[in-house]
Amino acid sequence: MPVQANELPAIFESFGDARKAGFLKMKALKDEGVGVVGTFCVYTPLEVFMAGGLVPVGLCSTSDETIAEAEKTLPRNLCPLIKASYGFAVTDKCPYMYFSDLVVGETTCDGKKKMYELLGRIKDVHVLNLPQNQNGASRLMWKEEIKKLAEKVEGRFGVKISEGDLKEAIKIKNQERALLKEFYELSKLTPPPMTGLQQLQVLFGAQFKFDMPAKLSELRKTIDDIKKSYEEGNRPVPIEAKRIVITGCPIGGATEKVVKAIEESGGVVVAFENCTGAKQFDRRVNEESDPYEALTDHYLNVGCSVMTPDQNRLELLGRLCKEFKADGVVEMVLQACHTYAIETFQIREFLNDKGVPFISLETDYSAGDFGQLKTRAGAFIETL
Amino acid sequence: MRKGKIGIGVDCGSAFCKGALYQDGQIVSLIVYPTGWNIRATGERIVKALRGIAPLSLCLLPIVATGYGRDKILAQKTITEITCHARGAEFLRPGVRSVIDIGGQDYKVIAMEDGRATTFQMNDKCAAGTGRFLELVLGRLELDLDSLDALLAKGQTVTLNSTCVVFAESEIVGLLAQGTTREAILGGVVASMTAKIAGQAARVTIAEPAVLTGGLSQSREIAAALTRALGITVSTVENGLYAGAIGAAIMAAEIY
Repeated sequence: MPVQANELPAIFESFGDARKAGFLKMKALKDEGVGVVGTFCVYTPLEVFMAGGLVPVGLCSTSDETIAEAEKTLPRNLCPLIKASYGFAVTDKCPYMYFSDLVVGETTCDGKKKMYELLGRIKDVHVLNLPQNQNGASRLMWKEEIKKLAEKVEGRFGVKISEGDLKEAIKIKNQERALLKEFYELSKLTPPPMTGLQQLQVLFGAQFKFDMPAKLSELRKTIDDIKKSYEEGNRPVPIEAKRIVITGCPIGGATEKVVKAIEESGGVVVAFENCTGAKQFDRRVNEESDPYEALTDHYLNVGCSVMTPDQNRLELLGRLCKEFKADGVVEMVLQACHTYAIETFQIREFLNDKGVPFISLETDYSAGDFGQLKTRAGAFIETL
Repeated sequence: MRKGKIGIGVDCGSAFCKGALYQDGQIVSLIVYPTGWNIRATGERIVKALRGIAPLSLCLLPIVATGYGRDKILAQKTITEITCHARGAEFLRPGVRSVIDIGGQDYKVIAMEDGRATTFQMNDKCAAGTGRFLELVLGRLELDLDSLDALLAKGQTVTLNSTCVVFAESEIVGLLAQGTTREAILGGVVASMTAKIAGQAARVTIAEPAVLTGGLSQSREIAAALTRALGITVSTVENGLYAGAIGAAIMAAEIY
């Protein structure tokens, strides 16, 4: 029965619309008295909030709508993610920011770190002091930071976070990680059973579904349906499409244009080595050891360019290229993101040694450079 | 009529729209118009003119469009200007290893192997290093492109501190007020452009022979300035302006 093929886009849309649909659900949660914590970064241990019975939500802004407003305070030559996030906070235009009782930031890059100081004038902001490397001393410091976060949450919301609660939260979050990993790993198939844009819809949208059990079963069904449809012979992606792994800054909303530019030029994005994708779901938190120890190890080892050195990013990228049979790697760097822009050199060198073609594209949240992106992505794919 | 040996290439750039008719390994005709505001109409004009030259029996002439306006041209296929410039440069200068193309709104450095582009670097949104910068300065100095080589040949120069085109323009206003010669200002502008291009070129492996394509491809002085900046000999090439269109026409001929 060929109906399955037509049902698939609907599945993707459920996640694609999740961010918008979540506004009302979040309001309902707030009306019930549930506490909401807004977060920005993959380094933030979400289990702490879950263990306290709170709902965490991602605040990283993905539209240029409020950048002009942000530029009244922040410098122009600053990363668009930081400007937009701040802009949405000052203009009250992001319902998630609006509903957040507590906003948790982290000292990842200099731009965000300083922006949080200003954000603190508008919202209740707690900043995690993220170390800049992953060695022993940093590990001790990060563990203390996670404990301090738990204390902050307990005080702010009048809840008690036991080790048992944390362990339970770790287990549930691990189920989500495992499902999302199983989901994106479907694209190891040749040809992949979905486009990169569809994969992104689910990876990005999943964070805006707040009913965890419902989300887990929806993800299970999504995976099973995609498998079934593929087994029935549906091939939404042509076999000759060049398989691209994306790396670099987070992608979602406005920056989906990079995925579009690739997929309109004969490529298909098979994996996302960034915060939106594998960086978040590749590993699971150890469920056996002390929960604070386990969370410390898990989160500190995220491979982001804010770490020096950043070996873990290379390890994951190299593995994804191999496992997903990448024809090439496209990096997206947001304008004025110094750590990623500099690390481009190491990434190019690393991939050159492996013989994987590489291109780095710089962009911001505006739509104006789509033609330029398409020329660059198109030319890159033509050389593969 | 033999098939697979004839094609039209249209390269719609931001400043000029170029067309090429290729048949049996030869360039039959080349044509150029200012792109103007109506890209589609300019493209159609070029296609019509080239069709007029092509043998009458070939009503289904394959067309490949390239350049930033490529999606506006009615063509069998669109291919990016990087691939087209590489193919065109190989035709104009067989065995070429590097192409430096200075266009109206971008510049690109293409590394080649066996007649094909392997890697490339382009400017980002910034207009520094592009033809647009030079065009703006020539306008400000009330000079034509034709006089460029003669003025540059005098070897005068001045250091421009601003790499941003907008800032550089106000710097030039200041220099003129101080009585700096137009020759020196032009020399400074070209040095700034080539330094910018050299910065991007450092990210790809460039080798000789290297050719200059695009609107400035006939300028010996620009090629000489690039040679100084890149440390490898960059030569001018006849019909370098049409490299993208020629590459597109060759690939059009390969369609059938």
